[in-house]
Amino acid sequence: MLELRQNSLVFSFPEVHHAASCKIDFQRTLRIPDDNRDYPLPPGLGRFPVEHVDDFAAAVPEKWMEHGGVFIPLYQSEALWLNFTGRYPCAIKVAAGKINAISGETWSNGLSAGTQDYAVVPGQPWLDGFNIAEDLVRQFVAMPLGEGYTAEEQITGEAEHGGLQIVAYPLRADIYKRDFEQEFRMHAHREREVVLFSNPEACYDSCASAEMGLAPGGTMRQHIYKDKYGIDDWDQDNGFRCFVHLVNSAAYESITGRKPPHRPLTAQDYTRRGLPWFEHYSDDKAMGGSKVLSALASVGARVIGKGQGVLPDNDPVKPRIVKTIGINHAVREGEF
Amino acid sequence: MTFGEYIRERREALKKDDRKYSVRQVAQRIGVEPAYLSKIERGDVAPPSEGKIRALALELGEDPDVLLAMAGKVSSDLLEIIRKRPQLFADLIRELKAMPDRAILRIARDVRDGDW
Repeated sequence: MLELRQNSLVFSFPEVHHAASCKIDFQRTLRIPDDNRDYPLPPGLGRFPVEHVDDFAAAVPEKWMEHGGVFIPLYQSEALWLNFTGRYPCAIKVAAGKINAISGETWSNGLSAGTQDYAVVPGQPWLDGFNIAEDLVRQFVAMPLGEGYTAEEQITGEAEHGGLQIVAYPLRADIYKRDFEQEFRMHAHREREVVLFSNPEACYDSCASAEMGLAPGGTMRQHIYKDKYGIDDWDQDNGFRCFVHLVNSAAYESITGRKPPHRPLTAQDYTRRGLPWFEHYSDDKAMGGSKVLSALASVGARVIGKGQGVLPDNDPVKPRIVKTIGINHAVREGEF
Repeated sequence: MTFGEYIRERREALKKDDRKYSVRQVAQRIGVEPAYLSKIERGDVAPPSEGKIRALALELGEDPDVLLAMAGKVSSDLLEIIRKRPQLFADLIRELKAMPDRAILRIARDVRDGDW
């Protein structure tokens, strides 16, 4: 089953194993400069609010009702990352506009037996962007659909789906029992420090499309770890999937009557205040990047290419404090 | 608070900002005589039919299930659900009786997957 609890998607598979579950939440963050430099990982600034599409049936586009799922508000060119939690191994496939964020392939149900197109939790604590090289991702940055920025539009030429698509499959129960139940080791949960503050100045977008998709932003150092199990070890008969619609903040307010979160700080302001950036350390092997995804133009490059000047708030920053988070790093939970 | 008292209180609160929530106008919109609505509000008569309670809920922006419960009634669609599988639903409701709201809400909060 898939539930929404405190703005997290909770996937659980009681029919597979009583411990089989994993959780995904969507972290607000700063947009890293899109300037051909590689950055460490930006912080989590709290969870995005997540709403059931069905709770606003009269106010959301008809297409959303067909898709089901949930929606979250984002400002234009705001970034986000996915925070994975879980101790029972799960394979999680993530697509933006039905373009797989790890392989660059178009959406299909099930896991690919060829090039790995999913992340494995635990092990992969976060996913911040499109997988472009062995140790690099391009940040997920929200852009209005229809203006040619999103990965979907760059690859398919269409602005049809937008949003995020997620499916999770648990490890087969017999594999879990064989490998884990005899000698279950508690994995220290790796959580990126959540720095809690927000810019008091609320901004609202007036972009053309209320619906958003994810476009490739600046580059940061992040590994996508190789599957230590095998494709046959995942229970693909028992997956759950979710369509996460992305809507601009002004439309979110008109749909729900609630104020969206304030726009997050800029990377420049954040760094100027001496606040920390992050790196993840693990001995696990990382997979290579996707050629398709590495060929995409970033938002910054496209703004210049379209003759629209330069991306605002895009000056380079020099992160002074970079915290390395490894498997034994203490947990710090943020209050939301 | 009785059903009638609650209806009066909600209607009067709305009337402060908008005259269209007078007894006469509300009665007219839900299709009853103003004198009858007054009697309902005073508790001189039993609460009206399910249809009229639903119309009142819509008119006053209230939850129809809550108003029906205050009137000692259960929505006919719920009755139909129970009638179809009486033992199963009677057991289920009794089982859930003591559970906290949070736990009950979880049962009903699956994220629906659609066609995409």
